[in-house]
Amino acid sequence: MEELSQHILDIAFNSLEAGATELTISVWEDIKHNLLQFEVLDNGRGITAEDITKILDPFYTTKSFKRVGLGVPLLQEAVDRCGGNLKIKALPPGGTSVTATFPHDHLDRAPLGDITGTLITLITGHRQLNLVYRHRYNRQTFIFETRQLKTLLRGIPLHTPEVLVWLKNYLNLKIIDLRRETNEEFGRAG
Amino acid sequence: MKSLDELDKLRQKLQQDMQVRDNDHEVRVTVSMGTCGIAAGAREIVQAMLEELKEQGLNNVALTQTSCVGLCQHEPLLEVARGGEKTTYINVDREKAREIVRKHLVQGQVIKDWTNPEK
Repeated sequence: MEELSQHILDIAFNSLEAGATELTISVWEDIKHNLLQFEVLDNGRGITAEDITKILDPFYTTKSFKRVGLGVPLLQEAVDRCGGNLKIKALPPGGTSVTATFPHDHLDRAPLGDITGTLITLITGHRQLNLVYRHRYNRQTFIFETRQLKTLLRGIPLHTPEVLVWLKNYLNLKIIDLRRETNEEFGRAG
Repeated sequence: MKSLDELDKLRQKLQQDMQVRDNDHEVRVTVSMGTCGIAAGAREIVQAMLEELKEQGLNNVALTQTSCVGLCQHEPLLEVARGGEKTTYINVDREKAREIVRKHLVQGQVIKDWTNPEK
């Protein structure tokens, strides 16, 4: 995986396979404290304490149709490469949160990459999904919720290609604006 | 097209279109979205498909996703299902995805060269 946004998509896809209908993806970028963190939080069937210790093993999976589970081990490797950390928590009564933290300026940290593409892909393939996306860059915050957009669309399906292409452009602009408005002289973009 | 005003105009246009459109999905396109697929570029395939579906004005196509289908070496994989007929395209890239929309979904021609592993 070349981008953190691909890891986010992969983890979110696990959530959906675990029956999640609500997904909150949060990204925090704090240049002053040299921090980049993302969290994927779901309301799926959750994870047992025993499985949390096992999922870092690439040859462990709870799925019956395959023998390897590479998603979390690959994320752990991306985290280890730059001295970050990864936390996986069960959220009673159901749900899981995956939080990965990275030093923002580390040369070996993968770029955040095409986060818009990740969000659009999730929305495209999962019509019943309620997705919340929060992106905080220093003191600026952008929040997007599919529920709100569905209200604005007044009956037009969210998965209509024309709507999704509009949404892609809208999200791209809003996420670029976050960085533009902070007037950072230094710091890595993405 | 990025602002909320533009979304409102788009919504009004789509509402008019919907009155004359058969809203049933005749064709289902499924992109494999396992870890292997994502690493190979499946996310970009979904975006390219969406853009081309919009260009071609196709709203009768259900674009869906599935997990790893066990053919990791041929990812990104894309399956087109129309009625009882299914076609699996392998090693798809953005350009191939757009061409699949134009040839297979619009003209009804299966691109057989992209359904077999390259020799």
